[in-house]
Amino acid sequence: MSSKNKALPKGVSAGDFDQALREIRAIVGDEHVQIEDEQLAPYNKIMMPVPDAQHAPSAAVTPDGVEQIQRIMKVANKYRVPVYPISTGKNLGYGSAAPVQRGQIVMDLRRMNRILEVDADLCTALVEPGVTYQQLYDYLQEHKLPLWFSCPAPSAIAGPVGNMVDRGVGYTPYGEHFMFSCGMEVVLADGQVLRTGMGAMENSNTWQVFKWGYGPTLDGMFTQSNYGVVTKMGMWLMPAPPDFRPFCIQYPNETDITKIVEALRPLRIAMVIPNAVVIAHTLWEAPCTPVKRADYFTGPGAIPDEAVKKIQADHNIGAWNVYAGLYGTKETNDANWKIIEAVAAGTGGKIITQEQSKGSQALQYRFDLMKGKPNLGEFGLYNWRGGGGSIWFAPVSQAKGSETLKQMKMAKDILGKYGFDYVGEFIVGWRDMHHVIDLLYDRSDETQTKNAYACYDELLHTFAKEGYGMYRANTAFAEKVAATYGPVKRDVEKRLKKALDPNNIIAPGRCGISL
Amino acid sequence: MHARRFAVCLGSVAVLVAAGGAQAAWRDGGEAYEKVCRYCHEANVGPVLKGRALPAEYIQRVVRMGNRAMPAFRRSEIDDATLADVARRISTSAALARE
Ligand SMILES: Cc1cc2nc3c(=O)[nH]c(=O)nc-3n(C[C@H](O)[C@H](O)[C@H](O)COP(=O)(O)OP(=O)(O)OC[C@H]3O[C@@H](n4cnc5c(N)ncnc54)[C@H](O)[C@@H]3O)c2cc1C
Repeated sequence: MSSKNKALPKGVSAGDFDQALREIRAIVGDEHVQIEDEQLAPYNKIMMPVPDAQHAPSAAVTPDGVEQIQRIMKVANKYRVPVYPISTGKNLGYGSAAPVQRGQIVMDLRRMNRILEVDADLCTALVEPGVTYQQLYDYLQEHKLPLWFSCPAPSAIAGPVGNMVDRGVGYTPYGEHFMFSCGMEVVLADGQVLRTGMGAMENSNTWQVFKWGYGPTLDGMFTQSNYGVVTKMGMWLMPAPPDFRPFCIQYPNETDITKIVEALRPLRIAMVIPNAVVIAHTLWEAPCTPVKRADYFTGPGAIPDEAVKKIQADHNIGAWNVYAGLYGTKETNDANWKIIEAVAAGTGGKIITQEQSKGSQALQYRFDLMKGKPNLGEFGLYNWRGGGGSIWFAPVSQAKGSETLKQMKMAKDILGKYGFDYVGEFIVGWRDMHHVIDLLYDRSDETQTKNAYACYDELLHTFAKEGYGMYRANTAFAEKVAATYGPVKRDVEKRLKKALDPNNIIAPGRCGISL
Repeated sequence: MHARRFAVCLGSVAVLVAAGGAQAAWRDGGEAYEKVCRYCHEANVGPVLKGRALPAEYIQRVVRMGNRAMPAFRRSEIDDATLADVARRISTSAALARE
């Protein structure tokens, strides 16, 4: 099979590419190297508003095992062929399974899906990159282990390693996923295998319980980066609480966000509310309810505020809908529930309990996510505009009311200018908020696609001017987002890249890092 | 006191579970449908597929290529044989019972 019409990596000759693939085939077996267009189709990017060709892979390889990956690294170095590692490859809205640059070979680790260890005493797990949250959930259920994990919304198909290395978030008290990881195994570009933290010691049994080890803590370097291929990850599991009380508090006005954040921040910081509180806008709730946009607005441009108000009234949706939970014993939750009731009453919010939520699709999937129960309810978002285009615009904000209102207004104005709706939510980390906006557009419509790109670009630069940076970004904007963080950080990243991967073979361009 | 309640809750199963490093694979298309497809296609998110006699080839193609918001699924996620089984089951299934 010759590579004539393929998307070759930049600077690699067809001859070298073919030779590299031959050697990779010898390592993993023919059936685990894919090169035909049809086989590569599911590795193409979806959702991002740039031409497919920009992120087209040249091939995909699905190794099984650290040793195979080490050997592939050797071949990649020899022929200077870049590889792009993915775990479960469902980074939808941030780049899907496609490489950051055209021509990179996707190294798909989905076959490595072993749950290596679950320690029910210490509440820890050690997993491979291909494990999905659904798989881990089933495992814990089957073994009757009352342990919970935190997962992102596309939990049934995504997995803990891929999500954690992109520093994703979830909705239980362990929602800041990287914070609750503990120990990684990483294959470096030169083929060496590094275990971080306590794992560096050969006979240590504390790899999954103590994060720091001795000397500099290296784990962070392997998140949102391209310094290695993560092949194992430790994660902490949470004992299922004897009493779990999820709730929603609805507020009638957009400007209420100021008092909501002011009232909830102290409870979150003090851990009366231990999980990542979500404050979701009407237009996030509506599609997941589901409400049809076309029933309220068919004109050009963004949906007007009056239509949004009508949706709120017709479907009992708040302007803002706060999701959080109490996790404890009946006694502690009874005590804390009084605080929640007082806060809701004092701020003009209406509480919806689990009992009262029955029958509401939007509430149900959120309540499930708050206990780490996988589902795909949030895909309802894509029925709002139709056409399946989506990029996440996700700036970080302080958990202060004035800041959130300011960010919301800035975003809404810019989105409106390009004809897009404000479909946003704030996820309260601890002292920060991830302000996550789904820029929804119809990817089969050329004008909307162009506008989506321009809109994200303007959002990014306007927010950066105000000092607001992204928590994470899709691969089409990696370079631009990295540039907003200034030259010194980038220079250090480049020097690290040079030291660890001098031939630039692991995911060059990821998060703007390349030689 | 509360700490004790938590501990009791775990106590009965507090053993180290070593999963033995087995690679997971789909039992059959039925399991794959239950654990993935159903979350959208029986949940008012994606269109209902059962009971429409959709051609099996069409189902397989959409799974591999994606379609609008429907993400594409790779062979590493679902092998060809399991996918064919999913498609066959959907294609020949009765309509979902309405509540
Ligand atoms: C409707 C919807 C809702 C969403 N909600 C959330 C949410 O609540 N929270 C959230 O965090 N995200 C969310 N997402 C975004 C995304 O789908 C998830 O973050 C998902 O977990 C990422 O995909 P993955 O886990 O399959 O990771 P992957 O796609 O496997 O990995 C992500 C990236 O990390 C790098 N990488 C992966 N594995 C390795 C490795 N082993 N070694 C080195 N680098 C690696 C690669 O660059 C890869 O592209 C949502 C998406 C959709 C469509």
